[in-house]
Amino acid sequence: MPELPFPLPALPTTVATEAYVVLSAILFAIGTLGVLMRKNALTIFMSIELMLNAVNLSFVAFARQFGHFDGQIFVFFVMAVAAAEVAVGLAIIVDIFRSRHSVDIDDVSWLKG
Amino acid sequence: MEFLIFAIGAAVSVAAAIMMVLQRNAMYSALFLVLVFFCFAVFYVLLGAFFLAVVQVAVYAGAIMVLMLFVLMLLNVAHPEPVDRRLAALKPFGVLAAIILIVEIAVAVGRSYAPPAGAAAAGGFATAVATPTPIASTTTPASGAAQIGHTQLLASVLFTRFLFPFEVTSVLLLAAILGATVLARKRPGETRGYAELRE
Repeated sequence: MPELPFPLPALPTTVATEAYVVLSAILFAIGTLGVLMRKNALTIFMSIELMLNAVNLSFVAFARQFGHFDGQIFVFFVMAVAAAEVAVGLAIIVDIFRSRHSVDIDDVSWLKG
Repeated sequence: MEFLIFAIGAAVSVAAAIMMVLQRNAMYSALFLVLVFFCFAVFYVLLGAFFLAVVQVAVYAGAIMVLMLFVLMLLNVAHPEPVDRRLAALKPFGVLAAIILIVEIAVAVGRSYAPPAGAAAAGGFATAVATPTPIASTTTPASGAAQIGHTQLLASVLFTRFLFPFEVTSVLLLAAILGATVLARKRPGETRGYAELRE
């Protein structure tokens, strides 16, 4: 790759920003589908990661569109929050597994009204 | 060329994401998710966010997925999840909700990009996108950016304008470490290990 001139929209690009946004929307919807469909807490977790990544893709695409760095900075923070969320969430899942011997979300529905 | 790479990456990522959701074995789901993450790294390279591509592979495909696979193997729940028992009737509603969501997003995106007679009617988003004037007043001038690297510029923004959020993130990660340690440690009086729990 040659060195990148900073105003990123100045790059000769053949992939429009809307293509990235549509792809991001599709992946986000698939992630939503996973959260709604699956019973395994770990698979639901992975679907949430997929949704976060889809949003990240939108951020980066718009960062290029507007020639602005803030979108990419936001992606950094989203990644940091995702890492924290994975650590705590997996600890919770391990804890649930220890008390229920299962990671099926139907087995932890005591709070349901 | 760029569009070709994007098309392949998009096809692979969507297919892998669908496979991830449909897999009954959580281990295969995790491996498909790794594939999706690599596709995201490809998109970041195409979008000029090289450092984010590296971080995507190192943090997501590396650290986060290794942690997830580690827990999967620790809990030994990789066996296929049984076909739904109680909430089976709700599954069609989940599919329906996801389809409605994607149609909604498609309509919203399509409306912003296909301007009606009055472009102002499409809202501020369309007009903002239609005129991609760089609003990079908060970053370093573009002239200096051509010399110094992209990653260097990113770092300079991160450590000046976003220094406070950056430091707050470190506190967040510390809290996450402590929380995970407290949640996952062995309770006092609890003697059973994972080996017995597997049975």
